[in-house]
Amino acid sequence: MSYLLQQTILYTIPLMIVALAGVFSERSGTINIALEGLMIIGAFIGVYFVRSIILLNVPLSFGQPLLILGMIVSIIGGCLFSLLLGFAAIRLKANQTIGGSALNLLAPALVLFLILIITSQSVLNIDSKYSSNDYFMLNQDDFGLGTKLENPLGVIGNVLFNKTYITTWICLALYLGLSIMLYKTRFGLRLRSCGENPQAADSLGINVYKMRYAGILISGGLAGLGGFVYSVTTVAASSNGDVAGFGFLALAVMIFGNWKPRNIAAAALLFGLLKCIAVGYPYIDINNDGIYFLNTIGVSQHIYRILPYVITLIVLAFTSKKSRAPKAEGIPYDKGER
Amino acid sequence: MENYIIEMRNITKKFPGVIANDNITLKLKQGEIHALLGENGAGKSTLMSVLFGLYRPDAGEIYKHGEKVDIKGPNDANNLGIGMVHQHYKLVDIFSVLDNIILGAETTKYGFLQKKEAREKVIALSEKYKLHVDVDAIIEEITVGMQQRVEILKMLYRDNEILIFDEPTAVLTPQEIEELMETMHGFKKEGKSILFITHKLNEIMTVADRCTVLRKGKCIDTVDIKDTSIEELSEMMVGRKVNFIVEKKPQKIGRTILNVEKLTVASKNHKNNAVKNISFDVKSGEIVCLAGIEGNGQTEFVNALTGLEKITAGKIELNQTDITHMSIRKRSKVGMSHIPEDRHKFGLILDFRLDQNLVLQRYWEPNFQKYGFINDQAVRTYADNLIDKYDVRSGEGAITVVRSMSGGNQQKAIIAREIDRNPDLLVAFQPTRGLDVGAIEYIHKQLVSQRDSGKAVLLISLELDEVMNVSDRILVMYEGEIVGEFDPKKVTIQEIGLYMAGAKKDRREKTDD
Amino acid sequence: MIKPSNKVKVFFKNIGHWFKSLIFKVDDKDPKLLVLYRKGATKSVVSSLISIFVGILLGGVILFILAIASGGDISLKAAWEGFRLIFVGVFNTGRDLNGNLTFGFNSTNIGNVLFRATPLILTGLSVAVAFKTGLFNIGAPGQYLMGTAATFIVALSIPTTIVPAWIVWILAFIAGFLAGALWGIIPGIFKAVLNVHEVITCIMTNWIAANIVTSMFDNNKGVFKHLLDPSPTKNLAYLFKTTENGVATSKMGLDVIFPNSQVNGGIIIAILIAIVVYIILNKTTFGYELKACGSNRHAAKYAGINEKRSIILSMAIAGGLAGMSAALYYLSGNTEFYWSTYQSLPANGFNGIPIALLAYNNPVGVIFSGIFMSYLNVAGLQLKNLTPFNEYITDIIIASIVYLSAFSLAFKEILSSKIFRKKSKDLSQEQPQEILVKPKIIAEEEEK
Repeated sequence: MSYLLQQTILYTIPLMIVALAGVFSERSGTINIALEGLMIIGAFIGVYFVRSIILLNVPLSFGQPLLILGMIVSIIGGCLFSLLLGFAAIRLKANQTIGGSALNLLAPALVLFLILIITSQSVLNIDSKYSSNDYFMLNQDDFGLGTKLENPLGVIGNVLFNKTYITTWICLALYLGLSIMLYKTRFGLRLRSCGENPQAADSLGINVYKMRYAGILISGGLAGLGGFVYSVTTVAASSNGDVAGFGFLALAVMIFGNWKPRNIAAAALLFGLLKCIAVGYPYIDINNDGIYFLNTIGVSQHIYRILPYVITLIVLAFTSKKSRAPKAEGIPYDKGER
Repeated sequence: MENYIIEMRNITKKFPGVIANDNITLKLKQGEIHALLGENGAGKSTLMSVLFGLYRPDAGEIYKHGEKVDIKGPNDANNLGIGMVHQHYKLVDIFSVLDNIILGAETTKYGFLQKKEAREKVIALSEKYKLHVDVDAIIEEITVGMQQRVEILKMLYRDNEILIFDEPTAVLTPQEIEELMETMHGFKKEGKSILFITHKLNEIMTVADRCTVLRKGKCIDTVDIKDTSIEELSEMMVGRKVNFIVEKKPQKIGRTILNVEKLTVASKNHKNNAVKNISFDVKSGEIVCLAGIEGNGQTEFVNALTGLEKITAGKIELNQTDITHMSIRKRSKVGMSHIPEDRHKFGLILDFRLDQNLVLQRYWEPNFQKYGFINDQAVRTYADNLIDKYDVRSGEGAITVVRSMSGGNQQKAIIAREIDRNPDLLVAFQPTRGLDVGAIEYIHKQLVSQRDSGKAVLLISLELDEVMNVSDRILVMYEGEIVGEFDPKKVTIQEIGLYMAGAKKDRREKTDD
Repeated sequence: MIKPSNKVKVFFKNIGHWFKSLIFKVDDKDPKLLVLYRKGATKSVVSSLISIFVGILLGGVILFILAIASGGDISLKAAWEGFRLIFVGVFNTGRDLNGNLTFGFNSTNIGNVLFRATPLILTGLSVAVAFKTGLFNIGAPGQYLMGTAATFIVALSIPTTIVPAWIVWILAFIAGFLAGALWGIIPGIFKAVLNVHEVITCIMTNWIAANIVTSMFDNNKGVFKHLLDPSPTKNLAYLFKTTENGVATSKMGLDVIFPNSQVNGGIIIAILIAIVVYIILNKTTFGYELKACGSNRHAAKYAGINEKRSIILSMAIAGGLAGMSAALYYLSGNTEFYWSTYQSLPANGFNGIPIALLAYNNPVGVIFSGIFMSYLNVAGLQLKNLTPFNEYITDIIIASIVYLSAFSLAFKEILSSKIFRKKSKDLSQEQPQEILVKPKIIAEEEEK
């Protein structure tokens, strides 16, 4: 049971962060379907950086500072890559869907090209000897909770303080902080106005172009970070030019959450939970009584896997009327038009 | 030396293909209400946008209190005390009234919004100037009148001393217009200076001190209101003596073409119905006009009549056929044509060619297609025919992409298409909106010729001049009901205005036929 | 009566006249080349070509940068060879004794270009048709998968001992089409009836399809697990090829023109389908309605067009095209299907997007952009075999081309509007106007 919750958190966190990335871009007025590509770039740059540092043989007692540095690098990488979308969409007023699609094509191509040249293999790992868990994973003894199988804080302890990563905590803090920024600060108010009515914002002296660039840069940074976190926590810090549709899933979560951080977090959690049940259902022992309930009822594994998608469709069918995309998204802002 | 607070000297502003402002000089005295008059496209909005910093002039300078200033953007304008209420409100729908007012002028602490002070200031301003608003209401849920008050409060919140109003009365009831005029007088007493853009002559005569007239980008003259008249102003605005009267043959009325019975249509924005239980008829050989201020249910009514929206209750009969629940296409087949209010949104497909647009309502007819394959030659011939008959001008004729045509010719194309189908009922919703005088004259002629040839015309218009001159019978709509029926030859504009404002209301008998 | 010698004179005079009319103003009509240039279609093609040229140039620059950055591991000569191969790798015939690249008619490569272009053209059509109706069919991979499953099931299950192989082929092809069409209807219905954005429904249906198909052929409990190939090299990971049942697309003589390649008649079928789609979109009332909905749904409704019907049918057709793409790919008989697809979606499905975008959603243009992408892919393989670089460089180039085409379109619009405005200023008979639509002006923004 605690294993299920651990996995759920690991899956949910990057999903939330990348969906939030989409929010920052779209609520400032730029459609960003390049989340997938941005994640791929972020994962690659972060992994490559960590790998390079490790190859330099700099002694580190534990990997946390390295992990944090990797996160920073992936944020920067995502920001830079998102400038391609920003430049095309804001300066050249290009079609944002096409631009985003182009980046989704460019990212895996670029990454795979580079990986093959770097390693002559199709996957980039941070280290050939140790696994990423050795470097980055935090276990309960790191928190001073001993090494007994039975965690002193029970299930909560097992979930929160065992087999976890600081990325989870950093991302949660970022998520909270950025959401507050979006709604409670001057910057957030202005950003949102640019995605709803840029003419109004402009007439009040707000620089719509700068705001939209800011939105895209934050979006790129977050998506890049999400990619790296995904890589570290779910695929053992490897980069292979693919994030298995995670970016598109985040897009769906963003739309599903109606562009609001609170709803997005809930939606991401739902997805994470269902996804992990699909993988681990034979091993779920809900009340620790030795009975693996879900295994016994004989529902096929495929049904579990389909569940998150089907549920999404059903919920969408009923709630679509309330769906409210940012009004001016996708429309390039032009001072000449009134 | 006059005390000019603002001087705009020799302002020129060009856009590719057109000179919007051509060497215009405008001087605003401190404490005066100065009107800026001109037709659509004369350059009034552009000039004010230059003053407000939305555009940079190609030539010319601006002076405040005799000192040259450089206005690079709305922030600079604001710092000089200049504020603007735009024609199309610049409000963020999903934000509250308070958020809209503080946007761009927020008080913050370490970047976090401090709303308490702002809220108090807004409430104080609202009370001082009697501009009632609900500070926490969301913009998309409040009335147009309140939205305008929010726009005005935006200026007051920023302590603006020079206030620009762009066509402020376009969507207000006469009552609200009076309130606005009073508010402006209040500002003037405080020493604020007002510039207001309008094309409504009687408003200028009522409230302005001086008026500058623009025509085709040039400044014609600046006059003192007490020394001039409506006719003079109008002639300056248009450049020629305008024939206000439309020539019509004597009326020959025939059978009932359209019969509307107890029609009720729900509103998308609020719980009340937009159209409440209205009944009337239109006979062949007459032009009936639904008059009223925008937002009183006309849009919903026309949508219900033409089939774009569903009705809640009631019946519609066309040519003795019950069309209440018929599809749009079927209604068209029974004999209805529709010139829509928004020509770009509903009337045309801008990316299509002219000939494709001209057959928009007929492409499925046997002349134009066989077994589903379009007969391009037939379409082209038909289009050329219409272009010739109705004088529709375009860059490349029938193959022109409509987006590149001028507004007047786009509207002509729509009219050609809808009239040539020879409908028994022509529904024309604001057919002359945004067009110049020449195009307006042409369109009125077409409407009258329909009527003279025995067809029925239902005109929905917000322009009182058009209503009075073109129609044979006027029905005034207020808040979804028909509150009065008039013969234009026997009623005054003032009387109609009272009904439009809801100040008066006749009880309507059900018309039997 | 014109004398014969005069007839010849007249003939040449007409030709001369025609040539003159290309460049000069004749009879008060604008020069023909200028008219052609002004046409939107020409601008699109020119824009595309510019994007392609710059994209390839970019690829070359990357190769050279890598050569320099590698400090000698990769020689400049290799970079130069790589660059040439991008352009003409398809025609490469190996190396001569001096180690230089040789070029000529490489039937294997050219044939393979046509072979690989077949599914790409059809998924490109799928995305293009949807775009014309204003919909983003990012669900092509899922429709492709359903088409795959249906095709295999029918192709492998009907014994060719009873039914002639060519009938089975047709039935399998139709099955692929129908499966894709039915799967494509789902996002169509969600959009038309429930107003749910098609992007999110398509993403969901992609993964649902992936899981359904996997479950159908699951080697433990799948209903169709008997269609799995148990031979030692495949080990139940792949389905049988359709040739197992004797079903394969006819070569239609193409194997004679391009021997030693995988080409078959599928490419001809794909091109014919593209032409049919072009006719439907541009010559029928149905196409007229689809394009109206895509361009301005309000006006379409005003005109009495049933928007819901158009959206649903458009998605059905788009899905059907993706299904046919899968059908043609697998009915070739020399491709096999890895059934455990629940984790990854087929590339052929997604590649339809850049193909449609490059062709500006024109069905005939899709033929060319599909072949072009396939051409680049095969060139990339040559690169992999002959240089230290790898084949992904061509993917980078394709992505760059699409990126460039995103704003070459904007550039084209600026060009058009400038020219249109100039024209209308010349029409002096025009009555006084309200200000014309002010087009996007970059200069305006620079003033701020």
